[in-house]
Amino acid sequence: MQANDIVLEIPYGTRDFLPHEAAEKRQLETTLADLFASWGYDEIVTPTIEYLDTLTMGNGHVLEPHMFKFFDKNNRTLALRHEMTTPIARVAASRLKDETLPLKLSYISSVYRYEQTQTGRQCEFYQAGVEFMGSGTAAADAEVIALAAEGLRRTGLQNFQICLGQVDFINGIMQQFQLDDAMQTKIKAAMEQRNLVGLEALLEQTTLAKSARELLRRLPLLHGGEAVLAQAYDIAVTEQSRRALDNLAAIYHLLEEYGVAGQVQFDLGVIRDFNYYTGMVFEVYTPGLGFPLCGGGRYDHMLSDFGSACPATGFALGIERIMLSLERQGLRMPQIRKDIYLAYAPGKLAAALHKAQEYRQQGQVVELAPAAQSEREAADYQTGKAYQKLVYIS
Amino acid sequence: MVITTMDYLTIALPKGKLFSLSADLFAKIGYTAEGLSEKSRKLVISNEEKKIKFIITKTADVPTYVEYGAADIGVIGKDVLMESGQDVYELLDLGFGRCHLMMAVPRQQKRADLASYAHTRVATKFPHIAERFFNSKGMQMEYIKLNGSIELGPIVGLSESIVDIVETGATLRENNLEEIVPIMDATARLIANRVSFRLKFDRIHQMVEDLRYILESEVKK
Repeated sequence: MQANDIVLEIPYGTRDFLPHEAAEKRQLETTLADLFASWGYDEIVTPTIEYLDTLTMGNGHVLEPHMFKFFDKNNRTLALRHEMTTPIARVAASRLKDETLPLKLSYISSVYRYEQTQTGRQCEFYQAGVEFMGSGTAAADAEVIALAAEGLRRTGLQNFQICLGQVDFINGIMQQFQLDDAMQTKIKAAMEQRNLVGLEALLEQTTLAKSARELLRRLPLLHGGEAVLAQAYDIAVTEQSRRALDNLAAIYHLLEEYGVAGQVQFDLGVIRDFNYYTGMVFEVYTPGLGFPLCGGGRYDHMLSDFGSACPATGFALGIERIMLSLERQGLRMPQIRKDIYLAYAPGKLAAALHKAQEYRQQGQVVELAPAAQSEREAADYQTGKAYQKLVYIS
Repeated sequence: MVITTMDYLTIALPKGKLFSLSADLFAKIGYTAEGLSEKSRKLVISNEEKKIKFIITKTADVPTYVEYGAADIGVIGKDVLMESGQDVYELLDLGFGRCHLMMAVPRQQKRADLASYAHTRVATKFPHIAERFFNSKGMQMEYIKLNGSIELGPIVGLSESIVDIVETGATLRENNLEEIVPIMDATARLIANRVSFRLKFDRIHQMVEDLRYILESEVKK
């Protein structure tokens, strides 16, 4: 391979956004940033690199093998942020500790995970999201879900489904059967992966009664509309499980008020793979994309890991996945505006640039010719660059 | 670009020994399509009335089609599924296509115990499963990925051992190989894409229940 070929390559898991892609991305991000701001969420920017110890706080160690790591001059291990919730929790528990609660923060950032690239996700990918800290209510959970749905709608996506679950429902059920921790972890992992075959094999190893095994086997299949909640109440014996269902019912009724309940389905199996969720969890799906567009939930312990206990809830939307879904569903965003190509005859540069300024102040997109051109050259250029209109100063 | 639509349920079936077994099983619950055959030149076979599409792919590709959502549902051996490491939902053990993954060595060169094979060469079509297995025993091995005729490895001095699938054990015997440790048993599984599982839950759930009913009644017979 020639030296030049290597220079022109980009590292695994990265991508360039060419102008039309970058324009779409910018527009999408602007739409979301405006929306988050209008709901009272303030934008926050944190460093791309953090200490590994910070990022692996709480349950971050699960993703530790997938982090990009390196050393600073003092040989402390640094890592590229793998998500935004942990860095924001760090800020909330330190520099924003004395702010009036609740804290409502939003971000649009790149995050990094060293893993096999997937549809709409490279190792470097972009997320837009919010964190609502300092409230443990169903109202806070409903607000973030409604905001995620509104965000997707604003980008133009109509056809999506929100799957809503509750971590404590499963935890309560586990308690009811008094399974030991190791078995609980294995069962939850099988449920999360929807490995129903593995789940059945695990249940065979327990001393549970046949009815209990059957109940656990069917848990990952508790999926559907409001009727599923009623079914779940029949199963839930412990206080913990029933409270989880009450919480879901309360969130659902608020989502009815927000007008998004029609897109909500309950999924009472284990939905999200992060261990740090403590209450409501949700994911959003759209047809034609085999991966979730958005994920979120309540994580009440994360801030206490940083020494400042505080309940919190939030979500992250995958920017590239939204772009890909829009494209696949034929909902491309408007192209970059190209209004006027402004060319000039020799000696007319001054007049041309004044004219260009005038048009720009009127809000037109104007490209000024790089040098004096003949009218014919200018016309070719206008067509080649797809400008609506040619203005020629002679 | 062709993507799975909400109206259709797309099922990926693997070529080879699992094909007819899977197609027969699906037919029993009414999932079939005219001209569904392994030898079909058409790669996508639809049943417009029942809104089903079958796609016929190379075995090792089934989990990929399903993970990316190009197929909603697939049938695949647990061995291939584990080797692929793809993130799909595993809904049902179909019971057929049973096979056994094990480690074998030339009979004359058998060593005292498994640990004494550490740092030797192992030829296999399943390097990921093999590596996971040996890692769990605290052993490091040199993995040589082959795509077929794995038994040849030790015979021509390419490797000290093999990790491979056996059905009857006849090939092992003919090549003077002997199983020294079992690794896993595998059967065919029904797998689903994680998004399709949600968006087409009712259809998929009904299908799983119907298949389960058929499988259980066959066991009883």
